[in-house]
Amino acid sequence: MNPIAAGVLTIVMIAAVALFGRRAELIYRLIRKGKPVARFDDIAGRARAEAVVVIGQSKLLQRMVPGLMHAAIFWGFIALLPTIFIAMIGIVDQHATLPWLGRQGWYALLVDVFAAVVLAGVITAFVIRKVQRPRRFAGSHMREADLILALIAGIVISLFLWHASQIALGLNEYPAAWAPISSLVAQGLHHSWTPYLERGAVWAHVLLILGFLVYLPYSKHLHIFLAAVNVFFGRTRARGRLEPINFEAPMDADVRFGAATAADLTWKQVLDTVSCTECGRCQDVCPAFNTGKELSPKLLIMGLRDQLLSGATAPLVPNAVTDNVVWDCVTCGACVRECPVGIEHIDHIVDLRRNLVMVESRFPDEAATMLRDVDRAGNPWGKPQSDRAHWADGLGVRVLDAGEPAPDVLFWVGCAPSFDERAKQAAISTAKLLKEAAVDFAILGPLESCTGDPARRMGDEYTFQKQAKQNVSTLNEAKVKKIVTTCPHCFNTIGNEYADFGGRYEVVHHTEFLAELVREGKLKTLAGDRTITYHDSCYLARHNDVRDAPRELAAAAGRAVEMPRNRERTFCCGAGGARMWMEERRGRPINEERVREAAGTGAETLAVACPFCTVMLDDGVRTTGAKLQVIDLATLLSEAVERRRARDSAVSTTDG
Amino acid sequence: MTATALVLMEEGEPSEQAAFFARGWGDGTVHSVGVDAIKPYAPDAIAAILQRAADDLKAVAVLAAGTDRGNDVMARLAARTGLPFAANIVAADPADAIEVTRQRWGGSLLENAILISDRPLVTVAPYAVKAGNWPGPIAVDVKRYIAELDPRDMVVQVKEHIDPPGGGVSLAEAKVVVSGGRGVGSKEGFAIIEELAGLLGGRVGCSRVVTSAGWRPHTDQVGQTGTKISPDIYIACGISGATQHMAGCKGAKRILAINADAEAPIMSLADYAVVGDLKEVVPAISAEIRKNK
Repeated sequence: MNPIAAGVLTIVMIAAVALFGRRAELIYRLIRKGKPVARFDDIAGRARAEAVVVIGQSKLLQRMVPGLMHAAIFWGFIALLPTIFIAMIGIVDQHATLPWLGRQGWYALLVDVFAAVVLAGVITAFVIRKVQRPRRFAGSHMREADLILALIAGIVISLFLWHASQIALGLNEYPAAWAPISSLVAQGLHHSWTPYLERGAVWAHVLLILGFLVYLPYSKHLHIFLAAVNVFFGRTRARGRLEPINFEAPMDADVRFGAATAADLTWKQVLDTVSCTECGRCQDVCPAFNTGKELSPKLLIMGLRDQLLSGATAPLVPNAVTDNVVWDCVTCGACVRECPVGIEHIDHIVDLRRNLVMVESRFPDEAATMLRDVDRAGNPWGKPQSDRAHWADGLGVRVLDAGEPAPDVLFWVGCAPSFDERAKQAAISTAKLLKEAAVDFAILGPLESCTGDPARRMGDEYTFQKQAKQNVSTLNEAKVKKIVTTCPHCFNTIGNEYADFGGRYEVVHHTEFLAELVREGKLKTLAGDRTITYHDSCYLARHNDVRDAPRELAAAAGRAVEMPRNRERTFCCGAGGARMWMEERRGRPINEERVREAAGTGAETLAVACPFCTVMLDDGVRTTGAKLQVIDLATLLSEAVERRRARDSAVSTTDG
Repeated sequence: MTATALVLMEEGEPSEQAAFFARGWGDGTVHSVGVDAIKPYAPDAIAAILQRAADDLKAVAVLAAGTDRGNDVMARLAARTGLPFAANIVAADPADAIEVTRQRWGGSLLENAILISDRPLVTVAPYAVKAGNWPGPIAVDVKRYIAELDPRDMVVQVKEHIDPPGGGVSLAEAKVVVSGGRGVGSKEGFAIIEELAGLLGGRVGCSRVVTSAGWRPHTDQVGQTGTKISPDIYIACGISGATQHMAGCKGAKRILAINADAEAPIMSLADYAVVGDLKEVVPAISAEIRKNK
């Protein structure tokens, strides 16, 4: 027992904890000041996310080298946590250690191995940052990261030196044979100064750890504490749902919709900004950033964080982020899906849009027509509602009238398939297939109105809620239980968002419904010889986990090949987030980028399952001149059913 | 001293309505400053004059019509005085805390707002209130204020009026619009479209693909996200007729489509359709028109 060492350690520790606590308290207060948002439901789902995303490092391991690097450091630190206490005890008394654990051979082995793993991780991280220099770090604080990595390296090296000199001096409480790396280093440490090295190393180890602790909350590496918290409070259900604004709530004189200043952010949004570690994975997958636009999801979150921490009360737009950044977003959710620390970028974008649209009336001019037409005409193109069922002329589709009994399945057509010449084909094919399989279905015709999705993603929550309430009342009056729709946006809005307005239905996408009919043998198919590559719609594959059914249909229709970016890591067509109704003035067209990717597979057919993707990608095929046909899976399936019928009748003719 | 309101006057009915409406804000006295006190138009200078006049008159409110210029000047007045400004109001209850109802969203939404100020600034939504019979406002003598203007207030001033190309008729108002789509093939390919539009005294339009390709400026784009047109005749050359495009020309009385693809959606949406290469059809129409001139 060394009382001087104990005294010095105590003073240093108090200072470190005080410095840490001062900053931690500021950040805690910022989070507590955030506006309310319900994130305490589904504890089981949250625990699961914690296990998979934090402990399992699932999102990081999507990229092998950086993933293994981070997992090595993360798991290593968890394994090494008790050594902090062992080292502190070692400072006070050379001959003492943590009861039980400090004397275990297996733990000595674990520490030896994991310290080496951490060191390997740090070296890999340096190589990634200094040699490979991926573009995702553009705009991140590189110096901070270097310092952190150097600190980690110092912590691990000092640990090795301490253990090695302990072994050389015979001070180890654990069997030396269980620490092979430290033992190897110890062989070179039989000198007169080794006792000083032993003291120096253990002090260095503990001081570096305390320094690390103090530095963390002042740096972007706060994620070490907050990532686990932020992941826990992330969305576990209905990931495509936006938080509604309660317009009926009594309001004070200072009316605020969305986020005008940092004070309008919810506590989860504040937590998002301080959790960001600037890794740039979001930026790497962002369709806007990847086509040369102003938006980088990483710089968006960093901008909001900087303004929040500065305490500035100025408007977030254009001070923290520019107007262009806010409008570049397609709400595809690639960034949210990719973020290892659970940041939900779309919520930030939509809240900024809500303020710009509903309070400031500041948004790209050309979108005003869409908002007005959704509000007045019930569809974004201002077409007469009476024309809504024209696509079904001659198909013998039942149009549900008020008071009639509900069908087994309501076919929610959506505006684009009702009015757009190119998107109509999907509705026609779906209706034909439903009839072929003898499904009892009907459409709402003129009673159907825009779900409000484009208005909501644009930030016009008021128009959205008006549409939502109207549609919920129509559907509830018709006693609809089950809905099938060809539009992933309608699918997401009715399935995930209408529950907030009293509409609870079983909503399935037409690809799921048709795949089920194929599985049940109600639709018999014969694959053709065309090569098909399927483009996942963001609102299906990413926001709603519908990925297998469309592939079953593609396989039933022809020879399916995958694009490099597929399934939950699909690349947007460019139409989401109401971008369908805005001009793409910055950067390169997103749809062309995706069409080139599709053309690269060598497929002749680009299969889609979304009316917006249909229009955007078809435009992209025209402008790029790619040799591709953009066709909805329902139409491809319809052809496969025809092909089967033709073959079967040919066979029966031959037989006869 | 009377409790007067001060109103900014310009030509036209909206200003007369605003001035009549202003009688409800004080004891019924209304003074006025003309937007043409400085010619050509200089919004900061007018705002400065309104500020001085309102101070001298101890005006209880400053009003203007909710026109482009009215809102422009009042926004500048609000910025320089820090007074609360409500634009495009349709009703007001001038008490201690003045309750106003204002139009949002081009009138699709009404907002109730409370202005707490001794001198609120408002613009009155055009045609939302009625003007009755009365002698009209008392014109303020602005000579003194003009003499005392700060040179910085004259920095923003109209220097020149430039008519839009195409004889002053905008795309939105043109009686004849000849549009080209991707089928035109290139920037240079628009020569035949321009020729036909010229012969018919119309304007040239285009589809979104064309502006994306950089062949024509965005101001020429007809469509959902471009200009909405309502000509007597719309001639669409090499345009497929995407919904986004048709949303911009649904006001056309007659549509003539020229397209090589008989299956293009526009062919079923048009009143007249010619299946053929626009590079042959369009010059042939031009030649025929020339012959008959």
